[in-house]
Amino acid sequence: MASELRVNTLKDAAGNNSIATSFVAGGSAKVWHHYNQSGTLATVDSFNVSSATDTADGTVRTSYTNALANLGYAVSGSHNLPSSNTASWVTGFDNSADFTTGQVSCSTFNAGSGRVDATKSMMAIHGDLA
Amino acid sequence: MASILKVDTLTGVTTAGSISVTGEGNSTTTNLQQGLAKAWMDLNGSGTIALRDSNNIASVTDNTTGDYTASYTSAMGNANYSALNSTGVTGVITASTRQHTIAAGSYRLEMNETGGAAADSTYVHLGIHGDLA
Repeated sequence: MASELRVNTLKDAAGNNSIATSFVAGGSAKVWHHYNQSGTLATVDSFNVSSATDTADGTVRTSYTNALANLGYAVSGSHNLPSSNTASWVTGFDNSADFTTGQVSCSTFNAGSGRVDATKSMMAIHGDLA
Repeated sequence: MASILKVDTLTGVTTAGSISVTGEGNSTTTNLQQGLAKAWMDLNGSGTIALRDSNNIASVTDNTTGDYTASYTSAMGNANYSALNSTGVTGVITASTRQHTIAAGSYRLEMNETGGAAADSTYVHLGIHGDLA
């Protein structure tokens, strides 16, 4: 039977390692997404992701099943490269019309060749749910 | 009234590995297990590498310059998880990170400076989200 527990603080049975439930809710990732953009975009695994769209070379829009409350959330990520390259590499988010409470676009960059499709792109969102 | 729950393990009733937590907006719920970081570390990767702090990291191997492998105490369910990494290199304004090898039991990442040279990093940060085994 489903049950609901209302509590302010969690501790271990010895009374140590106290954490407020606000930290449990606030500190949990609200979205994470691992996808392969090489060829046909494919989600490898995800949480709270309703859809993913390949919008351009090296850029994928991730849409959320449950929206965030506002735009004050944090996007972070990482990616590999399709081939060996000694240039720098960065995962960034596209601060454009795609950045809403319901979606964000992340891009993978290679300093030598601009935006590139990566086979292993990963991102996560931390912030407040609506 | 404030309340405190003392417990060592939280387990879902309907599904052991699934507990809902009400979100900040007081309406939508999020999955507790799915949202929790399953591993994280703050590593000093310069010189003799040393963990400043971590969770679920058994050990870190210094493979070569700017190249580290973090091994988990409790393995992930598969290699489909999402890894977040960043780096800070003392004296270098811009540095970047790259995935190398992703496995259920470990994650290998590389650091470099702008321009591409591999670099030991004084701050190697890693966070892992996904399914535990």
